Formats: sequence, structure tokens, C-alpha cells
Amino acid sequence: MIELRDVSKSYQQGAPAINHINLKIEKGEFVFIVGNSGSGKSTMIKLLMKELDPTAGKIVINGQDLSTLKRRRIPKLRRMIGVVFQDFRLLKDRSVYDNIAFAEKVVGASSRTIRRRVPQMLNLVGLSEKYRSFPKELSGGEQQRVAIARALVNNPSILLADEPTGNLDPKNSWEIMKLLEEVNRRGTTVLVVTHNREIVDAMQKRVVTMNKGIIVSDEQKGGHYYADKYVSL
Amino acid sequence: MRISTLAYSIKQGIKNIFRNRFFSLASIGTIAACIFLLGIFYSIVTNFTHIVEQAEDQVSVTVFFNEGITQEQIDAIGADIRAQKAVGEVSFTSAEEAWEQFKADYFAKNPELAEGFSSNPLAKSASYTVQVKDVEKQSELVAHIEGLDGVRQVNYSARTANTLSDVGRLAGYISVAIIAVLLGVGIFLISNTIVVGISVRKEEINIMKYIGATDFFVRAPFVVEGLLIGLVGATIPLVAIYYLYSEIISYVMKQFSGLTNIVSFLPVGTIFQVLLPLGLGVGAGIGLVGSIMSIRKHLKV
Repeated sequence: MIELRDVSKSYQQGAPAINHINLKIEKGEFVFIVGNSGSGKSTMIKLLMKELDPTAGKIVINGQDLSTLKRRRIPKLRRMIGVVFQDFRLLKDRSVYDNIAFAEKVVGASSRTIRRRVPQMLNLVGLSEKYRSFPKELSGGEQQRVAIARALVNNPSILLADEPTGNLDPKNSWEIMKLLEEVNRRGTTVLVVTHNREIVDAMQKRVVTMNKGIIVSDEQKGGHYYADKYVSL
Repeated sequence: MRISTLAYSIKQGIKNIFRNRFFSLASIGTIAACIFLLGIFYSIVTNFTHIVEQAEDQVSVTVFFNEGITQEQIDAIGADIRAQKAVGEVSFTSAEEAWEQFKADYFAKNPELAEGFSSNPLAKSASYTVQVKDVEKQSELVAHIEGLDGVRQVNYSARTANTLSDVGRLAGYISVAIIAVLLGVGIFLISNTIVVGISVRKEEINIMKYIGATDFFVRAPFVVEGLLIGLVGATIPLVAIYYLYSEIISYVMKQFSGLTNIVSFLPVGTIFQVLLPLGLGVGAGIGLVGSIMSIRKHLKV
């Protein structure tokens, strides 16, 4: 569960990036966060990862108040949240298998666990045959699947996807979304930050629209239409 | 810490060194030069100290007494001298012993010549031979003994003592200064190497942070890298010095065979008892300090 209570974040210059936001996301939800650039989406992701601390308000993730979380314990928080980026961020010098195994090594998993979990993840994202390929040999869609497998391999309770389809064509975008939906169906809370209007409209999930640091709409089974008033695409 | 994490850190540390060959080599080279000079200076200074100590053993002061002095007074002087800090062994030579010794030295072949003396010609030559433990303190000691009641004369060799201790101290200062400069350069180069390593792996480090890597996990490979560079940099010159040392000593002895009687050099084993741990320790230390400095500055997790 993710809860933001009256959260604000100001930088030294300009208007606050996030301005008194209240948001509650229950365990197992699938939520789109939409908004144009400068709406505060990126800041929100950074706050959730505790890359930044809010200037005011309280963020609670899985019962953990982030403001009381010691710096030393930040890795524990990040292990509860899998992240996927627009630019995939795979390690170019390592194979698909090693990229996923790397995430497990980082958290100190045993090699037995790694040998068991990595093939499971590859199977989930449908890349079992390509485990020896290197990122440059894969299409964008395939690379994003590897990134998703890597984000999920440590069994996080939340998956945070920041513009996951931003670099993909429509066909691949849909496949990634189907995969995220499948991940959500298996119990992971999924947060997708996106610009992709078609997808948001078609998926009929909860849509949180942000503009200039505030939440302007929060629709269950929402389309993107409401956001048009605020967001130029 | 898990063994798999340790293995990972070591593997990545070694990888870093090879990925970053040019800088690694430069660092290894500087540390090697540093440890090499350290080794050379250490060898010279230790041998010098050794030779000075040998010379010091031979540095002694002879104390003669006033005429008509009683045995009690001589004993009192002896007790006073023995109480001095810089004094090693003190031995008493009576007038009779001095005469016996003299006869043995000069009349051994013609004992009948000595018969000609009806009384002991060296009757006034009872003396203390005082070993000086610390050459630097010699003049102080001599002044003190000369001031004692009943002392007629103190014989000593002032020049040797002072020159030996001055040269020793100078060599020490110079070597400490040069080694300090090289240490600084070594640390600087290692920390640069690590900074380059960190910037090359920025992306990977960034990913690691998002995945939830601990500070330790992110940093350990760089510490290993610094440590290994330091140790490799130290091992090369230590091996070189080990072989060079004996060669040079035997060369010096051959060239200046006159020295053989006066000085003796320390065996390589004795030198390495200290130099091996010292060199490896300094190498590892440079590596650790250099890498930790850069990590502190550039790896905020």
C-alpha cells in the first residue's frame, strides 16, 4: 500500500514540483499516472524511491513511514519496489540472463535461488529462448521485458514503471502493457507513469492525472479524456 | 557478509583493474616506485644504523685517576659512571693488569726486558673503560666524568661519534621526506583511477541503487580494486629488492674489499622481516586510502 498525505516538494527555485498531494493506492491496484512534463510525475517517483525527501507531508509505503526511514535502510525500501524505465537501463556488457541475475546478486541471493528464479522470470516475460542474447541483439520491446523481469525477480510488492512504452512502437507497447497487467493479476501493485493516451483509454484502469504539482483528477476505470483539458499531448 | 557477495566484489574489483588498464598501470607504477624507494631507503638506513651500532660498540671512553687515589674513591667514581644512562659496560683495569697487558702486547718475545722494571711503570694507569651506548650522548658523558672528583683524564674520540650520528639522522630525514611525497602521489593516482572506474560504471551503479543495493555492495568492488592495485604495486618492488639486495651487497664488498673488516651488512632475511610487512602494508594502505577517498566523494548512494 502506498499513501501520500499532504505531500509537498519544493526545489530551491520556481513553483513547488508537488503541492499538497493526497493519494492512496491499495495493495494489488493497477494505476496510471498521467500528466505533461513539469506536472510533478518524476518528482513523485523520486519521492517514492526516497531519492528525494518531501519538504512537507508524509509518505507511507507498506506501513513504512519514509520520513523516519534511516538512510542505511533505503535499500530495504527499494527492494520492495521494482522499477522499469523508458530507456530500459540494461547492462550492455551482460547477457539477458546475467542482467536478471545481477538484480539478485545485488540483494545477496544465493546462487541456488538465482538459478531457480531467473528462468521463472524469463518464462514470465516470454524470453526463455533468448537468455544468452545481449541487449543490443534484442528489439526495444524485448529489452523492456528483460527490464521487467529484472524488476520483478526479487519479488517486490510494487512495480513502478516510468514511461515504459515511451521508446516502443504500438505493437510492442501493447505487449508490454499486457505483461504489466499479467504481473498485476499475480498480485503486484503496478504504477505506470505514461503519456500513451490510447493505452490509458483502452485499459480502463484507475487514472490519476497530475498538472503543475497537484492531482487534478483521480478516476476509477478512467479514460484519458478528462486529462485532455489539462494535458496537451 | 555473504560469501557470494565477497566473491562478487573481488571479481568486479579485478574486472575494474583490467577495464581501466591505463590508469591501473599508472597507479601500480607509482606505488611500485614508492615502495621501491621505501625499500631502498629502509635497507640503507637499517644497514647504516647497524654499522653505526657496530661502531658504537667500539666507541669507548677511558677514565684515568689522580695520583694517590684510594680504592674507595675509585669505586665511588665507578658507581657514578655506571649510574649514567648512556653507559653500557664498564670495566676496571688495575695498574697491575695494565702492566700485564702491556707486557703481553710489547714484550711477549723478550720477557727478560720486562724484568728490568723493578716497580710497575704503569702504576698510575689504573682505568675504567666505559662503553658508550648512545654515540650522541658521548660528549655530555665525557663532560660529566671529567667533572668527577679524582678523575685525572678522560680519553675519547669525539669526531667519529658526532659525524656518525649526524649522517644517520640526515639520511633518515631525507628518506622520510621523499617517501612522504611518493605516498601522496600514490594516493592521488589511485584515487584518480577509482574515480575513472566509477564514472565508467555510473550507469551500472545507478541501476544497482534502484535495485536496492546497499552502500557496501556498491562500494566494495572499488575498495578491492584499490587494495589490489596497492598490493600488486608493492609486490613488484619487494621482489626486485629481494634479488637486488644480495647482488648489490656482494658487489660493494668486492669493490671495496677494505670494508670487509670494518663493516658488515645485514642479511636480506633480516631486512625483509620488517620490509615485507612494511611494504605490503604501505601498498595496501595507499590503495585503501585512495579508493575510500574517491568513494566518499563520488559514490553517494
